[in-house]
Amino acid sequence: MAVMGTFAYEEDFLSAAENLTNSGFDNISLLSPLPLEDAQKVLGLGKSPVRHFSLAGAIIGALSGFAMAAGTALVFILPTGGRAVITIPPFLIITYEMMILFGVIFTLLGFHFVSHLPAWRDKPYLSSANVDRFVVVVEGADSEQAVKAVTIIRDAGAEEVRHVEDSE
Amino acid sequence: MPMMFDHGQPSYADVNKDILSTMLVTGRGYWILLGCTMSFAGIFFFMPWFYQLFVGVGAAGMNRNAVWGTYLSNFIFWIGLSHSGTLLSAVLHLTNSPWRKAIYRSAEAMTLFSLMTAALFVMVHVGRVWFVHWSFPIPNQMGLWPNFRSPLMFDVMAITTYLTASSIFIYMGSVPDFAAVRDASSGLRRRLYSVFSFGWRGTAREWHTLGWAYTFFAIFVVPLAVSVHSIVSWDFALSIVPGLHHTIFAPYFVCGAIYSGTAGIVTVMYCLRRFLHFEKYIGQVHLDSLGKLLITLSLIWTYINILELFSTWYGGTSYEVEALKFRLIGFYAPLYWEMIIFCAFVPLLMLFKKIRLSWNKMLLISVLINIGMLTERFIIVATSQPRKFLPDAFGFYFPSWIEISITVGSFAIFATLFLIFIKWVPAISLYEVKETLKPLRRDS
Repeated sequence: MAVMGTFAYEEDFLSAAENLTNSGFDNISLLSPLPLEDAQKVLGLGKSPVRHFSLAGAIIGALSGFAMAAGTALVFILPTGGRAVITIPPFLIITYEMMILFGVIFTLLGFHFVSHLPAWRDKPYLSSANVDRFVVVVEGADSEQAVKAVTIIRDAGAEEVRHVEDSE
Repeated sequence: MPMMFDHGQPSYADVNKDILSTMLVTGRGYWILLGCTMSFAGIFFFMPWFYQLFVGVGAAGMNRNAVWGTYLSNFIFWIGLSHSGTLLSAVLHLTNSPWRKAIYRSAEAMTLFSLMTAALFVMVHVGRVWFVHWSFPIPNQMGLWPNFRSPLMFDVMAITTYLTASSIFIYMGSVPDFAAVRDASSGLRRRLYSVFSFGWRGTAREWHTLGWAYTFFAIFVVPLAVSVHSIVSWDFALSIVPGLHHTIFAPYFVCGAIYSGTAGIVTVMYCLRRFLHFEKYIGQVHLDSLGKLLITLSLIWTYINILELFSTWYGGTSYEVEALKFRLIGFYAPLYWEMIIFCAFVPLLMLFKKIRLSWNKMLLISVLINIGMLTERFIIVATSQPRKFLPDAFGFYFPSWIEISITVGSFAIFATLFLIFIKWVPAISLYEVKETLKPLRRDS
């Protein structure tokens, strides 16, 4: 079972979130129509693992970019004006572009992986959370925890509290 | 955070309603305009192109002395125009400039569509477009790969990367807004936007990841954008043609690109404000900031132009001096001086705040700057190749009616793509505009 509390004011929403985490609820989602740094702090979200994807993509891209340029030059050798077959300055440009290309693609993959998107199953959601409401969702609560969560959410000034199934 | 709104602060719900209504409600005027731009693109761009494909690339005004012409100058122009959006958006994101938030989405779209238009010019220029895949990094039937030492291959890699990165950049920033469209619509549109938004709910974790990913995109995109136009400049500067073989070309092109792109943003913002009624969101603070940026870019651009004249005179190479003379007092001299007036002198008017805050005057200035920049690219191509070294190699280039028609038609293609875009993606970012609003408090 999940408990959803809807708030009109950001400050009430943050207060509910803080009280819930202080009371030991660790499976909560905070839905808002805009990014709120304070909400992220309440959940203790620090540095995102996305950065590892970006770094890995950049390294793989750079290596494969240079390998492509150098490898293709070696596969079919075309000596030009006595210059080296593997010429570093022009190949570094290809390396650089591929580094960025792979970095960007891996960052996109990282974003999807870390934020668990696409969402393969329905999760508790209110469309007003994409307009002007702030929603606290306590997921996986048993009946005793649900009562406690409802009290905390109501006390913080929720407009509405409802019980929903975790997965519809 | 400064106040962004000329007409009072809207509520969060107003933001959704105002911006989404431009997508969800479509009047007759929109369809008429779209029909006009599509017809215009068909008649002025695609029909002459098909004619050229039928009779051969000789139908264009290019000849033995001038194998590069208007198509390539347009290619540089459109690549340059693309530099405003993604680059400016990324730089302003990294510097945390709040005035970026209302204008960046359309600016990024401008990047994407300018790049697509530029890519079309490559296809038009190469003549036999069905062989365009030869430029991709794949081996041909002889096992021969493209030569990665050529600036043209740098170009292919850079533009492919830039197009991919710009598409991802605009998509990433739009995911939360796609979710808002999903929630505000029904039927097929709802199903479609459910796919586009990937089930976005707006949880703190999703926002947190998006913020980090977006910052990394911005970090990747800034040097990428600089590299793209530097590489375009090397298409010219790595040749030994007098008038093109300058080390200053990379910063010159990058500066010119950002300059014309920023002017393009002013034009697009004017249209959005006027036709989509975004007066509430795109205000004088944006115009003022863009005006100041344009003045700065104009001064840098002017400085580089003076430097180019000086280094040619100081170097004293006869070929370079001859190419410069042809540019300053030759057949195309009126175009050169038109460029100088439009890009170096007209922007100085923006030193006056009264002019910077007037939408009509800024529209006029931005259009003049881009006419000047289009001319600049034409001059670079048309006055260099036909004046190579010895007089017996001298020639002359003048665009044919096909090239002129295709140039005009390219603007219709850009307009068509942009008109389609505003019906598929919110032209202003919903959540970023909300970030600029003061949060509603219980005691307020």
